[in-house]
Amino acid sequence: MSTASHQFCRRTRREFLWQMGGGFMGLGLTAMLGEDGFLAAQTRAADGVTPYANPLAPGKPMFAPKAKSVIFLYMYGGPSQVDTFDYKPKLYELDGQTIPVKTKGRAGEKNEGRVVGPKWKFKQYGQCGKRVSDLFPHLATCVDDIAFIHSMTADSPLHGSAMLQMNTGKILSGSPCLGSWINYGLGSVNENLPGFVVMLDPKGGPISGAKNWSSGYMPATYQGTLLRSNGAPILDLQPPVGVSHGMQRRMLDGLGEYNTAHQATRADNSNLAARIASYELAYKMQASAPVATDIDSEPESTREMYGLDQPRTQNFGRQCLMARRLVQRGVRFVQIYSGGAHNDDNWDAHGDLEKNHGFHAGNTDKPIAGLLKDLKRTGLLDETLVIWGGEFGRQPTAEYAQGTGRDHNAYGFTMWMAGGGIKGGVSVGETDELGAAAVVDRFHVRNLHATVLRQLGFDPNKLTYFYSGLDQKLVGVEGADPIQKIIA
Amino acid sequence: MTLALKRETRRLFAASLAAIWLVASLSVTTAAPPADAEKIKFFTSQVKPIIESSCLKCHGGEKIKGGLLLTDRESLLKGGDTGPAISLDQPAKSLLLKAIGYGDPDLQMPPKQKLSAVQVATLTKWVEDGAPMIPPATARVAEGTAEMPAKRIPPQVNAHTMKFWSFQPVKRPVVPAVKRGDWVKSPIDAFVLAKLESNHLEPAPPATKTVLLRRAYYDLTGLPPTPAEVEAFIKDVSPRAFETVVDRLLASPRYGERWGRHWLDVVRFAETNSFERDGIKPNAWRFRDYVIKSFNEDKPFDQFIKEQIAGDELDHVTADGIIATGYYHLGIWDDEPADREQARMDLLDDMVTTTGQAFLGLTVNCARCHDHKLDPIPQKDYYRLLSFFRGIRPYSNGDSALTEIMPADRLKAMQDETKVVGRRKAELKRRIEDLEKPAIAALPKGKTSLPESRQNRQEILGPLILKSLGDDAFHDYGALIGELDQLETRKFSAAMALSAKEAGATPEPTFVLMRGNAHVPGDQVEPAFLSVLNPPNAVIPKPKPGAMSSGRRRVLAEWLSGDKNPLVARVMVNRIWQHHFGRGIVRSPNDFGSLGDRPTHPELLDWLAGEFVAQGWKLKTMHRMMMLSNAYQMSSIANPAALAKDPRNDLFWRFDMRRLEAEEVRDSILAVDGRLNLEMGGPAIFPAIPQAVLAGQSRPGEGWGQSSPEQQSRRSIYIHQKRSLVVPLLASLDAADNDATCPARFTTTQSTQALGMLNGDFTNGEAAVFAARLRKEAGDKPEDQIRLALRLALCREPTGEDIERGVKFVGGLKKDLQVAPDVALKQFCLLVLNLNEFVYLD
Repeated sequence: MSTASHQFCRRTRREFLWQMGGGFMGLGLTAMLGEDGFLAAQTRAADGVTPYANPLAPGKPMFAPKAKSVIFLYMYGGPSQVDTFDYKPKLYELDGQTIPVKTKGRAGEKNEGRVVGPKWKFKQYGQCGKRVSDLFPHLATCVDDIAFIHSMTADSPLHGSAMLQMNTGKILSGSPCLGSWINYGLGSVNENLPGFVVMLDPKGGPISGAKNWSSGYMPATYQGTLLRSNGAPILDLQPPVGVSHGMQRRMLDGLGEYNTAHQATRADNSNLAARIASYELAYKMQASAPVATDIDSEPESTREMYGLDQPRTQNFGRQCLMARRLVQRGVRFVQIYSGGAHNDDNWDAHGDLEKNHGFHAGNTDKPIAGLLKDLKRTGLLDETLVIWGGEFGRQPTAEYAQGTGRDHNAYGFTMWMAGGGIKGGVSVGETDELGAAAVVDRFHVRNLHATVLRQLGFDPNKLTYFYSGLDQKLVGVEGADPIQKIIA
Repeated sequence: MTLALKRETRRLFAASLAAIWLVASLSVTTAAPPADAEKIKFFTSQVKPIIESSCLKCHGGEKIKGGLLLTDRESLLKGGDTGPAISLDQPAKSLLLKAIGYGDPDLQMPPKQKLSAVQVATLTKWVEDGAPMIPPATARVAEGTAEMPAKRIPPQVNAHTMKFWSFQPVKRPVVPAVKRGDWVKSPIDAFVLAKLESNHLEPAPPATKTVLLRRAYYDLTGLPPTPAEVEAFIKDVSPRAFETVVDRLLASPRYGERWGRHWLDVVRFAETNSFERDGIKPNAWRFRDYVIKSFNEDKPFDQFIKEQIAGDELDHVTADGIIATGYYHLGIWDDEPADREQARMDLLDDMVTTTGQAFLGLTVNCARCHDHKLDPIPQKDYYRLLSFFRGIRPYSNGDSALTEIMPADRLKAMQDETKVVGRRKAELKRRIEDLEKPAIAALPKGKTSLPESRQNRQEILGPLILKSLGDDAFHDYGALIGELDQLETRKFSAAMALSAKEAGATPEPTFVLMRGNAHVPGDQVEPAFLSVLNPPNAVIPKPKPGAMSSGRRRVLAEWLSGDKNPLVARVMVNRIWQHHFGRGIVRSPNDFGSLGDRPTHPELLDWLAGEFVAQGWKLKTMHRMMMLSNAYQMSSIANPAALAKDPRNDLFWRFDMRRLEAEEVRDSILAVDGRLNLEMGGPAIFPAIPQAVLAGQSRPGEGWGQSSPEQQSRRSIYIHQKRSLVVPLLASLDAADNDATCPARFTTTQSTQALGMLNGDFTNGEAAVFAARLRKEAGDKPEDQIRLALRLALCREPTGEDIERGVKFVGGLKKDLQVAPDVALKQFCLLVLNLNEFVYLD
């Protein structure tokens, strides 16, 4: 166990040093990377003496990364695969018939059910000829840039635990999110912006709230920051009413004078310098965050691409456009929720499938297509990994005796990825002919996470964080391989 | 097998796997039936390629998932966690065929994709033929296998591993002799100084009185001294001046609020369950109050252990003892788990994890799925420890975790009163109805439906009663309704406590679970202590007839709090040291195992542990001892030679600076602006949380109440601990993540903290209160206001330069930016609350 114990010690003997001198600008948060590299030097609990090292200093990936940033379009509630991207012609014929099929959802396990035929027609698109349902006429034009994974599986068909798994890898509360892992591994290249940003649906947050962007057992540095698409984007970003920028500048200068005097006899304590620098950074963030989210400065044509000209698509369009501006500025992980709160305010279509999916797809189709096209046009798609999907999919059969609503389904569902070194125009994995369960090339949420880490330059089985006696991994102790078939 | 495949199975670090495989292969020839050449040919040409390409990556030896090896016939017959892979008697019922048949959604192999129909048919035929295999010397692991796991053997419990430092009995070391005897005020100093001297280092000079006072106040109470207290201490020139202060602070109720918080971190205290609903744990606040009270009373730590582990099983069961067992239910709880059996074990795991780390300083939790990789803790020991808790009814929304704690006489009185009130309510309702009847009859035609609410009915019927029955009846009607309304708001709830409850004297049996899988029980185990500690047998006394619990936890509690246990006292004195000196003598307070840090001063640790037990497990005795040492009273100022030689201060050549913890920052802000409300105990308070943060909830504001401004200004320990919603200032200043035991807080420095402290509603609101206090107490002159502000916040007399800077700042705002004087002063107050000196301790 020499390796592990060595690592455990090493992270307390970090070789990061603050570059001193040169005033605030020189200080910045430009930590010097030690020989050991960033991963060996985890931030640990306060021991009062360990020199401060910026935990968000740019880190070194293990391999040449294909992607620098991730945009996760989270379809909260669980979109139905057979009504979106997983074409199952047989289901149309079976509409209304009760057939044997094993399902497990919030209503428990069942052995038979009444088939609800897909409510939309599928057409072929692109050079790859991918079939996409009429829910996504705009997104359908991007299929040649997308890799569809039709054989996703998860451990839980219940929102609470399934969402935690999609976001943290574990079905139990308490672990860091994907965005936390990425920032832990890679740090930020733009210290004026948070590295892990979450945007919510106007209907509300997801269930379990902040647990979905928590840094769990990692320091708070790695937790997600909520970004609003209207008004001041970040909590407490702007001084309260009545405090001008001139006053704020004076505040920092005044603080600086006192803090410099205080530091004079405590020069060896780098935490004090770091705290001084953090105020200057906050000040810079006040200026740079609004610029990063200022979509009004985008040309009309771009705004139109994202559907900003239509009331229906305006909100998600704003968020997608903000996401592009953020990754452009080095933000590592942006998550946008489509759907919020409860019931039909998200993709959780237990009652009227047509109404539910029609609503949520209609709000997001054009903005997502706009995002992919804009990323591609600007060359950003090569280094930005876009992920689409929810915590699980839905059953091919009806939940109730009446109606079209579908219950949850973790046995098989579809997610897709685009950009960031992912092949376009491919589909991997298959569900059975009903779309009820993955049968060919089954992938677990862990494989999806492994793929994300791999594209960012990490061996998913080696990116670890020591906690509770164990080198914890996003992909769990069991480990997981990336989905090679979709990697370009 | 079911979930061995589905759930996270721990990767197997099997010992020298290649070797095992070879041994197995040699024995196979004798075990295999004589297979005819035809069948072997079929195996080699048809079956072997399928196994190689589809099975061996996980069952080939480099990995042995589910405990199943498929490289030889003997292993197939032996099978994995769920039993033999093939059945020779009933081949069709073989698990292997079931798995490849994909009939059971929980057992499908290969997991990635079903084999083709031809492949399934081939393997089926082969199994039906008796699964003949040739010696597998030719079988090889499929390509593309992930990296080889490290070849290491989990440490066994043996004479060698039992010698590990923390498993040794606590020895009373000889207090070392030192050269500078004059520096030694207590044996602590001798241990520290001896190490310094052997490293040719000098201890730092004593801290100034003001520094020392502020340090002591924060360490013991989490609050700053007032200017008057500073002044009194400076003036007190007696040699016992500091001792007097320490004793006074230890006697202050603020002490329990500060030290209780440390313990709440360790036992993952929270008041909600996390997950989708993040529902409230009823009466969890009583546990918080119990902890604060226990610290304030200086309850002996062995008693404190006994109450939390087995308060309900002690000879004298008290309300405190019942409340203390709420300990078991403070963790996360998924009310809607995907797998109920597994979730049940997750709850027990939370108890084992917390108990292992909090009391024993060992990651026993690592032995849930296999033997601990690095410490000599066999998997069996994990389940033996778990079996002490097996009888505890699982947490639920019902009463499975709630116990009545009212004394019997009060309970009886309450029940009697409930009956009386019930009768009175019935009478009132009858009389109201009698009065209403004629009025209803007199209602205009067509108006027959009346509102539900009594008040609305009163509005309609009142005038009619007045008209038809007269004044007296009208007044009676109003009075009767008033009384009924009042009685209905009276709640008769007995005082309940979140607590451990068992269903009876005999818990269900406990099994070792293969790879931690709740569906794959192995050997049955009985309660026993960690074998590496060479413990006595855990003898569970026969429960008395009618006993409602097994008595197991009491046996565990007695072992944990016994003076033979080598870990518990060490772990606790290390925590005390940690919160005085900024870090433990063992820097990993929850891990005294091989992955944890070694003690920098092992003899000192043992001496303290011995002293702790000898002096009756009293924390206050230990605080005094530590704080009255010269080691504690050193300055934090660096000396270049020592800094070069020992930058981490492993040797304690100076005192380490520390940033205030989240609660200390918030409480100090309220203390210096004069708004701190020192009311203690009771249900939690709810400080305002910005709308932008509540927006992150699926139902904004759900589970978060509204407290009055006075209540909001109480100490942070009383803030409602909701797992999915944390007051932003506390979250950004590294409050403990309470989903699991938290041994030490992080100290991060990030710009979002600066944004919150500069621009947030809380700090700006408090800065205004602070400014008002200054105007009131210091008059109108800016320099007086500034002096008072700095005295209050920094607990020292400000220098001329300090004042000058403030005057320049305030004056500049007024003169250059035309800021109103009140606003300028408020801005200065905000500046003070943001100073490094305010949030750092020397």
